[in-house]
Parts: sequence; C-alpha cells; structure tokens
Amino acid sequence: MTQRQTPAKPAAVFFEKLRSFFSNPHVKAFYPLVGLLLIITVFSIMTEGRITSLRSIRLILSQVYPLMIACTGVFMVMTLGSLDFSQGSIIGMASIVVSALSFYSIPLAILGGILTGAAIGLFNGLIHVRFKIPSFIVTICTMYLFRGLCAYLTTNAPVAAMPSITALNQDWIKLLITCGTLLVTFVLFQFTKLGINLKSIGAGEMAARYSGVRTDLTKVLVFTAAGLITGIAAFVNVVKVGSITSTAGNQFETQILIALVLGGLPISGGSKVRFSNIIIGTLISLILSNGLVMLGLDTALQQLIKGVIFLAVVALTIDRKSLQVIK
Amino acid sequence: MTDTFLTAEDVDKSFGITHAVNHVSLQVARGEIRGLIGENGSGKSTFCSLLCGIYGLDCGRFTLKGNELKIHNQVEANKQGISIIVQEMGTLAGLTVAENIFLGHEDRFIRYGIKHTAAMNREAQKLLDAYGFTHINATLMIDNFHFEDRKLIEIVKATYFKPEITIIDETTTALSQHGREELYKLMEATKADGRTIIFISHDLSEVIQHTDTISVLRDGMLIDTVQSDAVTEDDLKKLMVGRELNKQYYRTDYESAAGDEVLLEVRGVCVPGQIEDISFDLHKGEILGFGGLSECGMHELGKAVFGASFDRKGTVTLKGGVRIHAIPDAISHSIAYASKDRDNESIIVNSSIRDNIVLPSADDLADHRILHKKKLDRFAVEHAQGMSVKMTDIDQFVSDLSGGNKQKVVLARWLGKASDILVLDSPTRGIDVNVKADIYALMDNLRLQGKSIIMISEELQELLGMCDRIMIMKNGKINAEFSRSPALNEEDIIVKML
Repeated sequence: MTQRQTPAKPAAVFFEKLRSFFSNPHVKAFYPLVGLLLIITVFSIMTEGRITSLRSIRLILSQVYPLMIACTGVFMVMTLGSLDFSQGSIIGMASIVVSALSFYSIPLAILGGILTGAAIGLFNGLIHVRFKIPSFIVTICTMYLFRGLCAYLTTNAPVAAMPSITALNQDWIKLLITCGTLLVTFVLFQFTKLGINLKSIGAGEMAARYSGVRTDLTKVLVFTAAGLITGIAAFVNVVKVGSITSTAGNQFETQILIALVLGGLPISGGSKVRFSNIIIGTLISLILSNGLVMLGLDTALQQLIKGVIFLAVVALTIDRKSLQVIK
Repeated sequence: MTDTFLTAEDVDKSFGITHAVNHVSLQVARGEIRGLIGENGSGKSTFCSLLCGIYGLDCGRFTLKGNELKIHNQVEANKQGISIIVQEMGTLAGLTVAENIFLGHEDRFIRYGIKHTAAMNREAQKLLDAYGFTHINATLMIDNFHFEDRKLIEIVKATYFKPEITIIDETTTALSQHGREELYKLMEATKADGRTIIFISHDLSEVIQHTDTISVLRDGMLIDTVQSDAVTEDDLKKLMVGRELNKQYYRTDYESAAGDEVLLEVRGVCVPGQIEDISFDLHKGEILGFGGLSECGMHELGKAVFGASFDRKGTVTLKGGVRIHAIPDAISHSIAYASKDRDNESIIVNSSIRDNIVLPSADDLADHRILHKKKLDRFAVEHAQGMSVKMTDIDQFVSDLSGGNKQKVVLARWLGKASDILVLDSPTRGIDVNVKADIYALMDNLRLQGKSIIMISEELQELLGMCDRIMIMKNGKINAEFSRSPALNEEDIIVKML
C-alpha cells in the first residue's frame, strides 16, 4: 500500500483545532453556563428586556424554589445512573400531608411532608434493589400508584391548608430553605465519601461493589433522600398555593429531568456529573419556559420548541461510550 | 494427499498489546483432519475466528482451493464453505431448534416474503433424523434442551450444508461419551467425503486418536505440525509448554519466606455449581497459587475468599477470628482483590485514576468524615507514581490506559490501602512482558515484606515461577497440592488438571 501525503489545507487545520478545542473536557464543562447566558441574552432581546424586569424575575424565582430543591435529590439518583419518575406524585402526596397537618402545627407539617417523601423514596429504593427492577420502571409504577391516591384524596374537594400558612410565602424563607438544601447536599456530595461512591456506582456498579462500596444500601439511601428532599419542596409548594388539587405536581418529574439534562448532567450518570448542573439546569429550564410564555407563543408550539431543544441537548451531551442500560 | 486445499499465509492478529496470532502460515490438505492444540491463550480460537471472519485480519491471507477468502461474518463464511462449531454456546435461546439450524439461511424457506415455517420444521427434522438425533424435536424451543443436546443441534447447524472446512472448537468437553462417538463418526464420514476438519481440543489422547496431523500453537506462534500416528501425548505437551524460561523473569530462589503463622483459614467453602468443599490455610509471607482449567472453579474461589460470591457456604476466617462474609468486611480487614475481569470488576473504567485509587481508602483519608481534595490528590499521585503508572495526570480516565497500566492502577489502590492479603486473579492477563516483570517483582517484594498472596492463574509457568505452594483444581475441587521445588515441572501438574 502506498501512502500519499496530501498537504493539509489551512481551513481544515483551523476546523480541526476548533473541534479539538470544543471537545476538550475542560471547555465542555462550561457549555451549560454558556447555554444559560445565551438563553438569557436571546430572551432579553426577543422580549425587549421584559424577562429581566423585577416582576418577571420574582415570578421565575417563585418557580425556581421547588424545582431546584427537588432537582437536588434527583441529581443524586441520576448520578447513580438511575432515574426517578415518582417525584410529581411525591409532591402531590407530601403536599396533602403538609396541608392536613398544618392545622396542628407548622413544624409538624414540615416533618410530615418530609417523612411522606422519604417513605415513598424508601419504597422505590427497596423495590428497585430487592427485586432488581430497573428504577425507571419502579418509579413509573409508584408514580401511577400515588397519583391515583392523590386523586382519590382530592376527589370531593381540594385539600386546603390552614389559610395562615400562606403568610410564610416570603422570598427570604423560601430562599433560605432552597439554599440550605443545596448547601447540605453540596457538602455531602463534594466533601464526603458519598460523592465518590455515587459517581463510582454510576460509572461501573460491579467494580464499585468490588471496591467495597455497599451498592445496594447506597441506592436505597439515595432514593430515600431524593424522596425526603422532594418532601421539603412540597412544603414550599403548599406555602405558595395554599390548597392541593389532584393535579398538584403533575409533570413535575419531567420538569426535573429536563432541567438536569439542560444543566449538562449526563443521563448515564457517573463521573462526569457536576453539582452546578442542578443550579444552571433549573435556571435554563425555567427561563426558557417563561420566555416562551412571554413571547405569547401558542402552548402547543411552546412544547414543540422545548422538545426540540431537549432532544438537541441530549444528543450533544450524551456519553455514548459509557451509556449502557439506565438502571 | 499433496493437493493443498486451505492455506494460511502469514496470518496475524493483535488485540491491543496482546499478540494473539503471530504470523502463522500453514497448509491443510483436502480430506484431512487437522488437530490444533496449545495452551489457553495460545491463539487457537483466535486463529479459527479469523478463518471464519469473526475477527478481521491485521495482515496475511487465507486461500481455499487457490482463491483468496474475503469473509466478514459467519453467514458469508458458510456460503464460502467454512463452518464453525464454537467453544461457547452457539445456539440462540428463544428460537426453535429449526430456526437455530437455519439461522442466516432462512431465504430458502421464504416464498413471496413469507417464511414457510412448516417446511423449515420438516427439513430440520429430516436433518436431525439423518444425523441420528431422533430424540430432538425440531419444532421445540431451544430452551427445552440441555447443554449436550444444544451442542448436537449446533453440530447439525454447522455441517448439514456439507461445508468444505468444518472447525470444531473444543466441542467434546460438552459431550458425553455417546455424543463424542457420534461426533467422531461424523468426522470420519466428512473425511471420507473429501472434506476437511480442523479439530481443537484439550484432550490430547482424543486429538491423537482422531486426527491425521496436529499443529501446535504457543503464544500465537505456530511451533510445529506433526503426524498424529508418530507422536505421544508427552511429545505434544513438550511442544505446547516447552518454552525456555527466562530465569530473571520469575523468582529465582526456592526458599519460602513463609513461617507457620496462618493468616487466613478457609474451611469447607462451597458455591453451588462452582466450587465444592474447599479448605486451605494461607501463611504469612506466602504466595499460594491456584491453577487448573479456566472452568475448574479457581476464579470463583478468589471471589469467595473476598466475600464477593453470592450464596457462599463455609467459612473464611482471619487470624484473630474475624470472619469474612461480604466485600466491605474483606476490605476493612486488609484483604485486596484483583479480578480476572479487570474492566468490569477490578476497576471503574469510566472514572478517573484518582477516584479509582482513592475509593477503597476514602474512610481512612477522611478527617471526621470530611474529605480534603488536596489530601486525596496527594494520596493518588503518591501511589500511582509508586507503581509508575503511565498517565498524563490523575484526572485522566482509566479507559484511556493500556491493560498493563490499568492493572497497575488496581495494584496501586490496594497498596495504598496497605492490604496484608492480596487475592490476585490472573494478574498478568493480557499484559505485555515488561509490566509482567514489574508485577512479578512487586509480588516477590510484597512476599518478603510478610504480605500473603493468593495467585490464581491459567498460566502454569507463572504459577511455577512465583508460588511457594500450588493447588490444582479440577471440577470445583482441589485435586492436588505441590510445593515449590526446582524439580517440579508442568507435565506433573497438567496431569492433575485434566
């Protein structure tokens, strides 16, 4: 075989350099942040600055709190390489419990919400681990189970919370709860063994087990924690809306999934997850939703655009080498 | 029989750094039964996979009746007259016997785009009956049959179209005496028909008895081709294993550093279907080897000691009375394990070198449960460099490393954990000579420091070269025990393996 030496064209060299620059992992890590800035800029221009008005920022923030809190828990689940579709139904159930208990005392209501979420999460984790059923199947089942229960409990009338609870609907309280949740999770994830263990399970469960990680126990704990954290989000939700209808938390699980993926979280989990995925993802997703509404687009068209963007981001970020089956 | 039928010219294949088939050239005549023998990893199966297009050639070519073969998959191979009965299970579950037999050749039963199942079943049953396998019903699901019957079905599948060349890769181990007789009859009939067979087996007496000529492979190279009626089993064994040992490679001493102190006591360990009633003691400063054929249970034994087996019975007790039940027990009591399946069980491939090294030691490195990144980095760098892992930095993903460097990362993590007992399953599998030498030197060093090593290996040379004692396993049980001595040779051991 003869090898012919073709002189490289300057343009080809330039594009090759460009390509290698953009596929550098350190550069790739900034993609989500660039996406966030891009989306803010685009919508600022298209809405003629309305999206950066104080009113609109407050509106977006009010949606940020529950979503960002719940994303924190699901972030850990997805780091494992698992998925959790039961979050919406957890919001529904926990909100009902919070509302019902709010007539006795607020701390009791908070505790009740958290315990309800944790109990559903524990149920998910145990079924997933004990019967070796993939988590997305288990959580889709629990989603329908608890959605049904929510619908049953709210058949006659919405479950109302104590009216005075809405007095707690203040930005500083919600901000405090959100930041607190993020901070605690951040410390656990970044500065304890938990983070390394979760990433290891996501990257290679078998090898993690052989390295001494208690994989089953860790999974159960993470699903429980995800439920617990969503229980906190439920309290923030009740404070905001005051009463719970059967549709509370509807589609919340997809919102979480979309937010995390838009934030750059690889859907296969593993070593490439970053804590910043939660914050950036939540902001991108909500600015996008609100921006589309402000543009006055038709609801159907909004969904179409979101679908296209979601697909594009997944196609760009997915790690095809390490993607096996979602656990 | 001088007309050359099948020719392999300078056939070569590497997998990464493993040179599986090393420039092999050979000729096989029409109507010949050619035996192909060699140790595990000598390249027999790879050679056959190359011939029927399962792998692509790195260089060289095959010619059949003077025409060069260009084959990309097994169906193409069949069309060109080459067929293989593989070592592993070659039938697909969830299909019927008939569907399995005609897999890839369904076209002949398709009329107007619709598969004529009844005709296919009839045809399949006719074939089975003609082979004398009348007890097999062609319309049943393959799942209804046990291993031996499935092998018989595979034989039908591979030979019904009268291929010019049939490769039989280690099939007889799955067959009972009756099944073997059937296969030998088939081989004779094929030969009488003027067609050729390549026969691979570990059972040397069988090879001598039922072949015309025998080719011996070693480390991917063709060593010799001999007439079957002119050799004995001993001759073949010498050809298979008789390499000139490089004395610097392994330990040179024959004195054990091991005392009487027992570090680990294994009693009556069973894993259903894998190992039965295994008991032994591991002494301080000892390298204890386990050898045997790859299915003899020795790999499972390593897992059982490490607490990784599911459903293990019996006890694994450390000096001081601590019992090992699960992996975290083993690790926290200073037992390390390197698996044969390195990429899945030893190391997290899609993760950084740092995380891999730090993972088992995270508890030891934490101050009040809080980890400091700098401390982790320092720890990882220290041990990666200690093992001279070739890397850009510790954030590099393990997936980028060669097999040898991956194994170095595995060893680095366990040295970092300061393990006293190392269970090393096939520690030099798929690793090049230089890293192999490093690993042997490290093992010798650890032994002299008073650490104990259980070395499980399919390579007899390294067991002979490194171990103070060697246990040979067969069918899940310990079949023989040998002590280190210059007089001990591979022939003595092979007898106990087969």
